[in-house]
Amino acid sequence: MKKLTIVLIISTFYCGNIFAAEAGMPQLDPKYWASQAFWLIIIFSTIYLLIDKVFIPKIKGNIDTRENKIRKDLEEAKIFREEAEKKLIIYKKLIQTASQESKKIVSDSSQKLNEDIQNKKNEIQNQIDKELKSAENEIMKFKKDSFDKVGKISEDIVTEVIKDIFGEDGNKSKISATVNEILKKENVKV
Amino acid sequence: MHQFKVHRIGPEIEISGFDLSFTNSSLFMVISAILIMLLLLFGTREKRLIPSKIQLMSEILYNFISKMISDTAGKKAKPYFSFVFSLFIFILFCNMVGMLPYSFTVTSHIIVTLTFAIFIFIGVTILGFIIHGFKYLKIFVPSGVPMVLLPIISIIEIISYLSRPISLSVRLFANMMAGHTMLKVFGGFVISLGIIGGWLPLTFSVALTGLEILVAFLQAYVFAILTCIYLNDALNLHH
Repeated sequence: MKKLTIVLIISTFYCGNIFAAEAGMPQLDPKYWASQAFWLIIIFSTIYLLIDKVFIPKIKGNIDTRENKIRKDLEEAKIFREEAEKKLIIYKKLIQTASQESKKIVSDSSQKLNEDIQNKKNEIQNQIDKELKSAENEIMKFKKDSFDKVGKISEDIVTEVIKDIFGEDGNKSKISATVNEILKKENVKV
Repeated sequence: MHQFKVHRIGPEIEISGFDLSFTNSSLFMVISAILIMLLLLFGTREKRLIPSKIQLMSEILYNFISKMISDTAGKKAKPYFSFVFSLFIFILFCNMVGMLPYSFTVTSHIIVTLTFAIFIFIGVTILGFIIHGFKYLKIFVPSGVPMVLLPIISIIEIISYLSRPISLSVRLFANMMAGHTMLKVFGGFVISLGIIGGWLPLTFSVALTGLEILVAFLQAYVFAILTCIYLNDALNLHH
């Protein structure tokens, strides 16, 4: 530590000697004052003129252009957004009406379909009823016919039997009345 | 103090008894000017919507000065924008170029800063008289001061007004000169203490270099903002 201090002191003196050799302030020497002021005025005037006439307008123009562009773009974006919002509302309305219409169409068509089905059903039912009726009628007719035939055959058989037994023709009207009576009884039974 | 010496470069030019030779000081003014021109030239060459780095630099500089003027001197100072811009950028570049080794610091000479300061002082005073006429003398009579104190205050105001060019020029000159001298002293210590003891002053030197770069910017800013304040006094007389 002591050594370092000594070295520092010695070096300070040494350096002091170096500085002493070029002591004094050249700034206060008036020899080149006029020259410095002269060249300063010339060079600074040149810079000032160039900056004022060329560079400042350029930079300002650049910044202004950018600001205008940004402002314009923002305005455009705003307009577009408003338009988009309007369109969205229209679109929503469209979707709403469309869904309503489609619901209506679905309900209408299902109603119509039901009606159609009902109509067809009725028609078919009617037809079936008709056919049933005609079939029944036919059956009835057949039945009646067959009864009549059975009656006639019975009458014939009875007449033949009576003839065979008694050897003479029976009372025809009496026979037919009896047969009919019996058949009626049987018919009721069936 | 070799770094502050001015010497002639090229032929001797003498006009009506004044030695107006081209010196190393003039050379470094020209170098600074060329660097400024290059920055602005490349900064304004392209007109891109999204600026390139160098374009951004010139635009930041523009916005910086613009804000400084509108903050201190208001809207009336718009016509003097170019002057303040040139002043700031020229002093800044002279200071910064001076930070390079073996270069010359133009602003470390009192005559250079004094030329600026006197020009600003005279310009601002003329401007004040043109805009306000003799009412500009009100600047020496602050409002709301008791009558008894008025003579003293006025004298103080006059002295402070007249010392403006001196304070303005000496501030810049002394800052630049002191910084460079300090760097020189510590640099001298590094050499004389050699490889064993030289590290401490070297560390200081490095730190001081950073500080000096800050001072170089700060003094250019201070010079420009004081110009704005003086302009404000002349333009908007509200004392």
